Amino acid sequence: MGEPEPPVAGSGSFSGYELDAAFHDEMFEPSGGARPAARRLARALAESGPADLRMVQELVNRRFLHEGITFTVLGANEVSEQIIPIDCVPRVLAADEWDHIERGLKQRLRALNLFLEDIYHRGQSIRDRVVPADLVLGCPQYRAEMRGLKVPHGVYVAVCGTDVVRTADGFAVLEDNLRVPSGVSYMLACRNAMKGAFPDLYRAHGVREVSAYPKRLHETLASLAMSGDAPRVALLTPGRYNSAYYEHAFLAGETGIDLVEGRDLVMRDGVLYARSVSGLRRIDILYRRIDDDFLDPVVFRPDSVLGVPGLFHAYQAGNLVLANAPGTGVADDKSVYAYVPRIIRYFLEEEPILANVETHLCREPDGLAYALDNLDDLVFKEVGGSGGYGMLIGPHASKRERAEYKERVRANPANFIAQPVLPLSRAGCFVDGRIEPRHVDLRPFVLQGRRDQHVLPGGLCRVALKRDSLVVNSSQGGGCKDLWVLAQPGAREAGGTDEPCLPR
Amino acid sequence: MLATVAADFYWLGRYAERAEHTARLLRHQFTRLPDTPAVDLARGWRAIYRSLGQAGPAAPGGADEAETFLLADAYTLGGNLMEESGNPGSVLACWGAARENGRSVRPHLPLRVWTSLNQGFLWLRDADFAKAWADAPAALATEAIDRLRFFAGVVEATMPRDDAWRFLELGRFVERLQRQTALLDTWRAAGSSADDAPQLAWADLLRLCGAYEFFCRTHSMAVHGDAALAFLVRNPALPRSLRFALQRIDALLDGIDPVGGRHPLAEPHRAALRIGAGMEAATGRGRKTEWGPVLASLAEQSLALHDLVLATYVHYSAAARATP
Repeated sequence: MGEPEPPVAGSGSFSGYELDAAFHDEMFEPSGGARPAARRLARALAESGPADLRMVQELVNRRFLHEGITFTVLGANEVSEQIIPIDCVPRVLAADEWDHIERGLKQRLRALNLFLEDIYHRGQSIRDRVVPADLVLGCPQYRAEMRGLKVPHGVYVAVCGTDVVRTADGFAVLEDNLRVPSGVSYMLACRNAMKGAFPDLYRAHGVREVSAYPKRLHETLASLAMSGDAPRVALLTPGRYNSAYYEHAFLAGETGIDLVEGRDLVMRDGVLYARSVSGLRRIDILYRRIDDDFLDPVVFRPDSVLGVPGLFHAYQAGNLVLANAPGTGVADDKSVYAYVPRIIRYFLEEEPILANVETHLCREPDGLAYALDNLDDLVFKEVGGSGGYGMLIGPHASKRERAEYKERVRANPANFIAQPVLPLSRAGCFVDGRIEPRHVDLRPFVLQGRRDQHVLPGGLCRVALKRDSLVVNSSQGGGCKDLWVLAQPGAREAGGTDEPCLPR
Repeated sequence: MLATVAADFYWLGRYAERAEHTARLLRHQFTRLPDTPAVDLARGWRAIYRSLGQAGPAAPGGADEAETFLLADAYTLGGNLMEESGNPGSVLACWGAARENGRSVRPHLPLRVWTSLNQGFLWLRDADFAKAWADAPAALATEAIDRLRFFAGVVEATMPRDDAWRFLELGRFVERLQRQTALLDTWRAAGSSADDAPQLAWADLLRLCGAYEFFCRTHSMAVHGDAALAFLVRNPALPRSLRFALQRIDALLDGIDPVGGRHPLAEPHRAALRIGAGMEAATGRGRKTEWGPVLASLAEQSLALHDLVLATYVHYSAAARATP
């Protein structure tokens, strides 16, 4: 007896799976046949009925609930915690596809770290008009306090989470998150849940492992120490009411570092200490998960109670390493984003491996005119916005919303950019008892240590669970799913626990 | 260990113990519902509320406290202590507070410790109370106790014996010392009150403390007040005796104490030893014990011990500590 017929979109278990030529499909080719990397998964899904998938979905949800893998939602009058919606159908990427993304991410982060060092020191790229001076110096995330300050080993961004999308033209970077990118813990939790739900399928695929991330993170942070053995690292969190608190606690636990809040920290003689039960204990490296504004009320926002007075002084004095460095936000500003390809060419003398999304800067007269003329067809974003808030999706907005937004753009053009509505690729999701395509993006995580770069072979794959929705943010009805990056046949990675789980 | 982490573990232990203590009182009362005269039930409710330091239901005009408890519906009183999220002393609220402390120290908690705490809380939060009260109220309290003991068992089985465990257990036993002292004093007060006859049964107090069978085996089935109180205060083999709690507190503080039991001892450790010595002196064999002053003194000293633990290990002045 031969192999069963390969599954086809639109028939059998995939009868609800309608392909649309406008969107790249992660599971099926335009002809309807499963893509080579996803063929095994598609076949397994076809063999398991909706009842099996529903059971898996319930198991995963229950696991997340019991393990407290939640995020905090702040309502008008109450704080509630929710599990992040998980889709139990993994997205599969072939080894060569991932290789392309990985090279592109490494290149991008190298260039952005050089850019940050330049704008806070010589400013040559500004003088050479690679990026407009007023764009950099006028950016709210530009920190004059960082000017001339030597950052340990030139690593401004040690942890980066870049949003990558795939359209019919291939992969492109949608956003660089260089301040306090989050989501890696959900990705790791999702992976653990999927391994438990599909152990045989997982093993058969030869998926690259992601479990070494905490170890890599710790190595990366420790490598930034100015001197000494066994530097003491701590993670600074705003506290348990922060939406990403689960992630902070998870990372601290998995890396064996202290999870501290501002109230745990004390400055003494320009050195940062944590209050322990037996007295004060020095901290050498702070992986801060709070924004620049809140780090030090003496230097930044005076009303901050999350940080520590004098912390920036310890940083200036070289008694403390901050990861990421203050002021990195200038490089992930949505206006500066448009210049990243030029930044790459300027600093690395290389062509960008990953493309940017076409972006119109409303701060420029031509860009503003184009954006306003085509407002109905474009997506508008605030340059400092995040989480899907403050944006307008022209084709989906009402006439009134569009008119109001137009006024906001006219009033402060520099605060906005416009991009075309991206035809985000779609991946199979288990929705309402059957498998249907939904739009997805991807947030891989890159670590930059003193010498090494490491790209986690996977990422937070966010999915817009509402039909036809393009918004993948969890705060806006999105969820996430596991991403299976397949290993090159016969490949083995260095680093022990990074080894791929190859088919037996 | 960070001072605030120690505080969270300490409070986690306290809240988990408090939840179990309240659930045990409720189970005892619910098991008496079918065959106990209303007046005795009311006396039981009053004792429970008093021992927990909680105000009872609002009295209708002209009714005294005893009448108020007689008039109140058992499920209203039980519900207030079990599920009322607005009552910070309810089992649900205490469990929720323990869970919040647990969330704060997630990096230090083995996964199973966290999930047993979290699952238990979610079970109680989502319980169908109306059905439980109608069908088998004692069973709900029993399951709550079992789940809290399961959590304690997972702690016992999985946590390394480091400061995290010590502070958690310290919180548990300081709470037990305070709650048990208050419970014993409530029974003592009822037993010595001339106008409150018939008094609360001493055998019930022993049952509440899981000590009745043990008492019968080692003493007599005839339970007298003095003997029961002495048993519940002094017996080192009884997990809910005050001496047992004090011995555990001594051992835990010995571990936390940076000098490890050598002189000079840390202040909380000295205070715990003083409490134990004072209790010994006041309740020693061969003398008539004045239980009222003894229990009042223990209550006061156990409150002071709590303050001292937090002042020494958590809220100390950073300026007074030398940098390493």
